[in-house]
Amino acid sequence: MSAKDYSGDKGHSQETGNPRESGRPEGKDDAGEKAYSAAELMTVVMARHLRDGEVAVMGAVSMIPMAACRLAQETHAPNLSYIAGGSGAVNPRLEPLVFSSCAAENLRADAMLPLPDVILLEGHGKRFDVFFGGGLQIDKYGNCNLVCVGDWHNPLLKGPGTVGLPFLPRAGRAVLYTTAHNARTFVEKVDFNSGPGFLDGPETWLGQGLPGEGPALVVTPLCVFDFEERSKVMRLKSLHPGVSREEVVRNTGFRPALPPEVPVTPEPTLSELVILRRLDAAGVLGKLV
Amino acid sequence: MERTRKVIPLSEAIRRFVPDDCPSLAVGGMHMHNNPMALIREVIRQNKKIKRLITSPSADINADLLLGSGLVEEILTAYVGFEHLGLAPNFRRAVEKKTVKLLECDEPFLVYGFQAGAGGLPFIPYPKGLELNDLHKIDPEFYRFTTDPYTGEQVMTAAPLKPSVALIHCQEADPYGNAIFKGSEFTDRQMILAAETVVLQVEKIVPDLAAKYGATRVNVPGFLVSAVVEAPYGCHPTSSHGYYRDDEGHLRAYLQACKSPESWTEYLHRYVLDIPEEEYAATIGRGRLNSLRSEGVFE
Repeated sequence: MSAKDYSGDKGHSQETGNPRESGRPEGKDDAGEKAYSAAELMTVVMARHLRDGEVAVMGAVSMIPMAACRLAQETHAPNLSYIAGGSGAVNPRLEPLVFSSCAAENLRADAMLPLPDVILLEGHGKRFDVFFGGGLQIDKYGNCNLVCVGDWHNPLLKGPGTVGLPFLPRAGRAVLYTTAHNARTFVEKVDFNSGPGFLDGPETWLGQGLPGEGPALVVTPLCVFDFEERSKVMRLKSLHPGVSREEVVRNTGFRPALPPEVPVTPEPTLSELVILRRLDAAGVLGKLV
Repeated sequence: MERTRKVIPLSEAIRRFVPDDCPSLAVGGMHMHNNPMALIREVIRQNKKIKRLITSPSADINADLLLGSGLVEEILTAYVGFEHLGLAPNFRRAVEKKTVKLLECDEPFLVYGFQAGAGGLPFIPYPKGLELNDLHKIDPEFYRFTTDPYTGEQVMTAAPLKPSVALIHCQEADPYGNAIFKGSEFTDRQMILAAETVVLQVEKIVPDLAAKYGATRVNVPGFLVSAVVEAPYGCHPTSSHGYYRDDEGHLRAYLQACKSPESWTEYLHRYVLDIPEEEYAATIGRGRLNSLRSEGVFE
């Protein structure tokens, strides 16, 4: 049976809440004409964002961030370290990629931390540089929600729960992502804040004096956002090839900051694709979005 | 005087060590891995009522099956879901229809709580910034604040967790309850440290575990363990690290079965209520189980 049989409750990520299907109905047709999938482009965008020597951490259903970390290690960031979710594995050498963050295959790695040690270090404030997250909902200040849609006491949809997302304010830069770019995911304000971004804007955020830098980047199948320095509102950074500014606006439930000129997201290079497809010979990324 | 062996049959372990009205039951395993399903299915067969179910930071079918069985009054959890396969149907239904009381927390509430419970600590304070999410606003009694005596600032705290009983899967144990996790230990070792009573299920009893692996690899000491049950493939349909993968086809079939009351009842009877655990493997099929084997991941 296919994932389609679960249309009411699709696969989602612990840290991202991502449904596995794109919110962009026309995406599949376009993908046939391109030399890469939307998930591969998202992977490349994240990989280029990571710097050599950094430490990244991620939660469940993190195939895209994991592939991004592997790609970064094999290109410009050989000293990047990453921790694969609940498995506690440090620098898994995943070939092929696997779906579950806690599968034993992750343990073909450099080292393994017991999970309580990972949680301890997430609280430290300076150990991790990048935290990958997301949610059923993400709002204009980069707050995430994995708890519920609607009122917590009478939810329209009970989400799975928030796990480690509350560490976002202490865990370096947050790189958020979703495979479902639509107005249900991107909302004006999250119904329940289970993964704090810039809270209610600069006044509330700047007074906190926290070690984390807040959300830095949001990667979707349509575009890349960053955040405006002063207002802390999500800002369109680049449009994926073939995507219009109107399409992004139509599928976003708030008004993002829109610079007059928005560049096109640079496409994956041939060498990046060669590496990715060696890591992902089974084509897991191609099936995601 | 002879040393006491702790290996007993599964049904006896649950009968003796899980009270009929269990004040708090912790279940190990994370996502679709290392879930102690043989023990959990037997808890359902013996109709044990669970006042409070406590999960790891990411529960899966371990919690969802218990919730579906209707034996759970309240659940303390940070996540119940099926990772890339979807939401947890019985969890979602029970919370949305309010047939279970949800004590919703984050991952550190559980991890700090087990640590505090294990060490007799009155509470563990959170690092600053973890009070910025909305969880503590649900019930002010649940996440309590105190004054940091060093800075004078308000800090959020996690209460100690001391489960009455913990059900845990280890890959191998010796007859005296010393045991190992061949792969990830998730938060299962902390549950063992914090619980009053621990029942282990293992793939295999090994006469002398320390001789096989070296004592430095054996990090579950037998004095913390009340009973050991040998239950090969006892994690199915979840994985057992170093022994077999999760059975994605069965997990998908479970999710499908949860869609209607009729198919759910049929699932519960076929795989749990109508068979003793000893017949579970044959019900799934030996060939299918053998095809999931994944020995050698770590060797």
